[in-house]
Amino acid sequence: MTPEGISELISRVALRDRAAFDVLYNSTSAKLFGVCLRILGNRSEAEDALQDIYVKIWNKADRFAVTDTSPISWLVAIARNHSIDVLRARKPATAELEKAVGIAEHSPDPEQSAIASGETKRINECLDQLESDRASAVRGAYLNGESYELLAIRHRVPLNTMRTWLRRSLMKLKECLER
Amino acid sequence: MSTIPADDTMPEGDDFVAAEYVLGVLPEQERRDAARRIENDPAFARLVANWQLHFDPLNEQFQSTTAPSYLKGQIDQRLFGIDSGRVAAGASFWNSLAFWRTVAVAALALVVFNFAREFVHRQTGPAPTQLIASMSSDSGPLRSVAIFDDKSRKLRITLVSGDIPRDKSLELWLIAGKDAPVSLGVLASPKGTEFNVPTSIAAKLRDGTTLAISVEPVGGSPSGTPTGAVVAAGSVSSI
Repeated sequence: MTPEGISELISRVALRDRAAFDVLYNSTSAKLFGVCLRILGNRSEAEDALQDIYVKIWNKADRFAVTDTSPISWLVAIARNHSIDVLRARKPATAELEKAVGIAEHSPDPEQSAIASGETKRINECLDQLESDRASAVRGAYLNGESYELLAIRHRVPLNTMRTWLRRSLMKLKECLER
Repeated sequence: MSTIPADDTMPEGDDFVAAEYVLGVLPEQERRDAARRIENDPAFARLVANWQLHFDPLNEQFQSTTAPSYLKGQIDQRLFGIDSGRVAAGASFWNSLAFWRTVAVAALALVVFNFAREFVHRQTGPAPTQLIASMSSDSGPLRSVAIFDDKSRKLRITLVSGDIPRDKSLELWLIAGKDAPVSLGVLASPKGTEFNVPTSIAAKLRDGTTLAISVEPVGGSPSGTPTGAVVAAGSVSSI
């Protein structure tokens, strides 16, 4: 489905059009479920999250009109933010952290970077200008929902150092992206 | 653009908090505070939107995965209070999960009914025109219902719970008595797949015939007999 098609559907959902909601779900739920699965890492939580996300989409559809983002980015942002909220609210967080330290770091998939095009190429180029561990911290945070706490443990630095690192990396990243 | 401060000082400012919110790294309370600011502070909301635009291209790396088919019904239930607003919304009656759930329950009732009828009469009436099978397994989540119409020789199958696994196919088999399983085909969609059943195979579809679903490589078993685990099975009964 084209971005225009999805925009149209979201606008119709804002007008409480349930048939449009069905079509929107059919054409976008696989992508959003992929987001939930990647961030939450287990199916049952991802399924619960996906339900909450489409309830939010139904309720917030009227807000889409005032954003200047692409419709799929808008939907993915809702899914990502919700999944990260769920992740942060998990109790106890420690079990999660211990598990995360044990598993190998997600490295950027070289094949995926190679096929990425246009805008993706740009952000990857800018990320590549950072030191590799800092770039992977930024990617890990965005794609896997990793917290400062977890990143600090993984990189074996104090929390504040991690935060300083990341903020400085974000600063460089922004300079590159807005160049 | 500001210059980067000495290596050990943390850069400060709303723009960083906005970026941290978008990246998702903040702890729970700080994240909640930032979310509240997005609602109430337009300047902060703009910073967040700007960072989100920068990171949006990374979304390409989230790989699409089909969600289980029952989720949409649960969402409709929460939003509209009925399991299938789908009928009202113009979706096909045959795709309605509520309908198939009802059928599954009805099928179980029928098994009991047929048993009682057999017990009383010990005889069969005129040739049945519709057959139904409810398939499940004790060990897995998959439940499925198939309805066969003798007149059109069409067999329609849908998954009531569970889903078609990623990178695999589900194949439907007919097992009559001690004969080898005969493939009826591969399920095209969890919502419903319709098979045209050849006359020779239709003749074997009757009370007591077993229908089973196995997990196979994409496109179906390469050998013509089931190669993967049987994830649901059930016997056919007439309506």
